[in-house]
Amino acid sequence: MNQRINKHPIIDIPLRQKIKFFYNGKEFFGFEGETIASALHAAGITKLSESIKHHRPRGFYCAIGNCSSCFMRVDGKPNVKTCVEPLRENMVVENQEGRGSII
Amino acid sequence: MVSNAEIVIIGGGISGCAIAYNLAKKGMKNIVLLEKDYIASGATGRCGAGIRQQWAAEMNCQVAKLSREFFETAEETLGYDHDIEFKQKGYLILAATEEEDKQSKENVALQNSLGIDSRYISLEEAKKIVPILNTTDFISATYCKDDGHLNPWHTTLAFAKAAERLGVKIYTHTEVTGIDHQNEKIIGVQSNKGYIQTDKVVNAAGGHAQVIGEMAGIELPVYSERRQILVTEPVAPILDPMVISFSKDIYCQQVPHGAFIMGRGGENEPRDLKHSTSWDFLEKMTETALSILPDLKNTRVLRQWSGMYNFSPDKQPIYGDVPELKGLYLAIGFSGHGFMFGPATGLLMAEFILGEKTTIPIDKLHISRFEKGELIEEASVV
Repeated sequence: MNQRINKHPIIDIPLRQKIKFFYNGKEFFGFEGETIASALHAAGITKLSESIKHHRPRGFYCAIGNCSSCFMRVDGKPNVKTCVEPLRENMVVENQEGRGSII
Repeated sequence: MVSNAEIVIIGGGISGCAIAYNLAKKGMKNIVLLEKDYIASGATGRCGAGIRQQWAAEMNCQVAKLSREFFETAEETLGYDHDIEFKQKGYLILAATEEEDKQSKENVALQNSLGIDSRYISLEEAKKIVPILNTTDFISATYCKDDGHLNPWHTTLAFAKAAERLGVKIYTHTEVTGIDHQNEKIIGVQSNKGYIQTDKVVNAAGGHAQVIGEMAGIELPVYSERRQILVTEPVAPILDPMVISFSKDIYCQQVPHGAFIMGRGGENEPRDLKHSTSWDFLEKMTETALSILPDLKNTRVLRQWSGMYNFSPDKQPIYGDVPELKGLYLAIGFSGHGFMFGPATGLLMAEFILGEKTTIPIDKLHISRFEKGELIEEASVV
């Protein structure tokens, strides 16, 4: 399921540098200049985290770094706001369980 | 609104709600509580809600101990249907100077003599209790495992709801505008919602205690000073006890939900009764917190707010009546510790008002102590 828009009647979508990253141990690709959550969403990963008490799936929601719905562990750091964090080469992105541990 | 009452309690914080509950439980009827905003909207709901028995002044120790014992079974006693989030994982008090180290030893000796299970410990032991602690700036610590912290809103609501079930009438968004008195006796209370005839008034107005005093024509020896506090985003649990340092001017805890809540005093805090906040606090607070608990650098501050410390000259509460005005009772001047003393305030004030023998003697906390000049100032305050 690729949700990426490659062609648009009004906006030009330039070709961008492809970037490799890891999601839960598997190799994924995104594009330079996009956020981690964008890259995951485009690749069909829509569940980014879980609700704390009932473990319900949480995905792309506010997309401006406010809502905590996209918190993931990135390069070992918990609670990263993946909806606003730019994707970088070889990033290690993982789902986190519960509240992230800061130690 | 009712037009007369046996007693009118001013203030819907923990003190007022606990006094109302205890009076009703002891059988008093027609009790009215007036709150200018909503329950726990003042200092109570704004505080760190820590409870400690590790004090330097004897009365503070005793009042705190009585409260701690209540908190341990508060949910059942008050019949509350929600968790009041009592995290009883202790208080770790760090000593940074020789003077503080000496004070710590004296405090522990006094506390132990009063049946409080506190200990003077080494930094190694402190590090075992709080593995993320940076001990660099410290000499020693004291620890009491029975201390802890609660959720101040739920705890206060638990008292308020229990009081209401016993018949107490609580009027929120009702501001007292005048205390009516004649021939040195209380005769009524004027509020923005109406007049209530009564011959007994309890001033449990927290940050506004002196304002209520003025309305009654009594100059109370208390003033309110702003104190700020912040909360971080919630993270997995890594801190058991409340950590405090008097000389570093910090208290810091991790609530069960996972957020860190921390506060400090600071210099030149305004006394204008405004709930303002400052950038300076945010800088100094985070700097101090990171020097003691460096791992907190990986969490984000969500917001900061402020509340009032109602200071008395010796930083101990003022309990009892007022010689110049019959029918006026005081539960004021908690100096930042009104929440943790709440259950004791409720019990002791109810006993005093009903003319019973109080569970612990409170004559040393009477307002007349300031005239007599028999002051023992509490040394251990953040």
